[in-house]
Amino acid sequence: MRVLLAEDDDLLGSGIRAGLKQQGFQVDWVRDGQAAEYELATGAYLVAVLDLGLPRQDGIQAIQAVRQQKVKTPILVLTARDAISARIEGLDAGADDYIIKPVDLHELAARLRALVRRSHGQTSNLLRVGPIELDPLACQVRVDGVVADICGREYELLHTLMLNAGRTLSRTQMEERLYDWGHEISSNAIEVHIHHLRRKLPPGTIETVRGVGYIIHKQVAL
Amino acid sequence: MTRWLPQVRSLQSRLLFSVMGLSVLVWLVTILATWSDTEHEVGELLDAHLSQAASLLVTLPLEELSRLRLQESPNLHEYQPKVVFQAWHLDELVAKSVTAPRMPLGNRQTVGFSTGEIEGEHWRVFAAKGNDPHVMILVGEKDVARTDVIYASLRSVIWPVSLALPLMALGVWLAVRHAVKPLKELGQTVAHRRADDDSPLPDGNVPSEAKPLVQELNRLFERSARLLASERRFTADAAHELRTPIAAIRIQTQVAQGAQDDAEREDAFRQTLLGCDRAAHLVDQLLQLARLEANGGTTEPATSDLRASLERVQQELKATHPNTDRRLRVEVDAPISTQLASPMPQGLTHAVLRNLLDNALRYSGPTGQVQLKVHSCPQQERLCLTVEDSGPGLTEAQLAQLGERFFRVLGSGQSGSGLGWSIVRRVATLHHITVDTDRSPRMGGLRVRLEWNHHRA
Repeated sequence: MRVLLAEDDDLLGSGIRAGLKQQGFQVDWVRDGQAAEYELATGAYLVAVLDLGLPRQDGIQAIQAVRQQKVKTPILVLTARDAISARIEGLDAGADDYIIKPVDLHELAARLRALVRRSHGQTSNLLRVGPIELDPLACQVRVDGVVADICGREYELLHTLMLNAGRTLSRTQMEERLYDWGHEISSNAIEVHIHHLRRKLPPGTIETVRGVGYIIHKQVAL
Repeated sequence: MTRWLPQVRSLQSRLLFSVMGLSVLVWLVTILATWSDTEHEVGELLDAHLSQAASLLVTLPLEELSRLRLQESPNLHEYQPKVVFQAWHLDELVAKSVTAPRMPLGNRQTVGFSTGEIEGEHWRVFAAKGNDPHVMILVGEKDVARTDVIYASLRSVIWPVSLALPLMALGVWLAVRHAVKPLKELGQTVAHRRADDDSPLPDGNVPSEAKPLVQELNRLFERSARLLASERRFTADAAHELRTPIAAIRIQTQVAQGAQDDAEREDAFRQTLLGCDRAAHLVDQLLQLARLEANGGTTEPATSDLRASLERVQQELKATHPNTDRRLRVEVDAPISTQLASPMPQGLTHAVLRNLLDNALRYSGPTGQVQLKVHSCPQQERLCLTVEDSGPGLTEAQLAQLGERFFRVLGSGQSGSGLGWSIVRRVATLHHITVDTDRSPRMGGLRVRLEWNHHRA
């Protein structure tokens, strides 16, 4: 799961990035409000963590700006501003959750998972398509109750496809959702991962939509 | 008035007691005066009756007197004087009223008024000589009858006053209550205010005597509201500023707990320590500022060795800023270098220099130049300390905000406490040092000028 982190404090930012990585997120970190707005507008992130007191542009303004651009990415505000009025302002501006510093790392991760789940219309963390079960908490995939050997990028790819079950995702969209910054992506990386995934999943799970991309149907006909 | 009513605190009771006390006192004096006056006047009137009766009797010759067989006159009115007479010839009682005693009523020897006592009863007697020099006429009246008349006339004076007194008390009570009502209401309004209510008291219905009080109270409320708001803001800001390093420490500790390898754990621990140092620095600055604020503007004038403080700060800065030797230049003008006194105690001199130089080194970038100069001002008798840097400097708006608690230039990548400048400004105010900030014409960054009276220091 790719997360955008906007935090101007070096120490806290590096901590959150390292901590969320341990929890299985890919984290991109920006340090000012304008960069946060720009990155959010790309729509490449599943969820975002935003500080409010950001240089160049306040977090609230950044949220309002991206919401005006119809960006639906769930945004969690992580701030030291604890006044009720500040919370109301944050949530009304378009934030989906509001946490006061300091925050527990595990709670932060759980809230991010919940935001992602809700934004995809799911009630439980567990994603299920036919016999395939994906558990984001344990980063585990089970096929017919048996744990499949799917991890790393393959897991992320499957997670992305299952979250968007019923929708065709292009290769670029998948690359955006899969890789944080600073990764060299070879031109056929997605194809290679799809190829490996197909060998580990029941046949027909991932369909190729010619000239567009890949899709997992909500009800897999086996 | 207050001397003899020290325990009565209520204005209403005090007014009521004093007005009613005075009224009763005046009333009593009036009664006493009326008493003595009435007694005197009625006494004279009755005496006149006695002498009149006697003057009628003395005209009668002795023979006629002895023939008098007086029936007691009918009592036609309750105040009709109960008068009796005796006619004496030498030592013999020749005639008397029926009700008169046989004993002489009073003194038979001298003419005029006298008093006598017969069988326990007191008499008022008038004696007059008849035509015959041996005849003495005594006309007497019982004292009891006389006092009855006096009491009756006194009663007629007292009862209307006695009736009026409680009515007046009621009237006074109502008037006083009405008069102090606005004050009472004011008191209740103040008493029922919530502790955090800082709205002004309404002064529309307040009597003019209490208006200055209300106005002063309102000014006080205004002042305390301002103070309270600034304290609240400070507490909120302090909490806000402490939260970020604490959040960082917490997250980094959890990262260390969940680290997969030693290098990651080591890095997280290093970051945790950095966070602790930052929180500690922030707390230090907060405490220093709090102590300065608590001083309330009065510190003993003290001086310290500026050169020694400068050297110490330079040593300390070397530990936190790499290349301090190359980046920081200190110049002290020769003529005054022999006696270089700072106008404040050593601890504060150190704090001011440290904050100014630390900021300059921080915000001028890793290779920026910083220059500190001490020299005489153009004005005589004044010393100048200037700190300039080659950093990006501050905008006009940022310069105006400099010294506000927790003001920091966002996006500078620096993690100061935001309190250094508040401390510098506070110390400057306490020790009469003027502080000016502008853009350095030579180096392009921020220029800070401290100026103080050399002789005072």
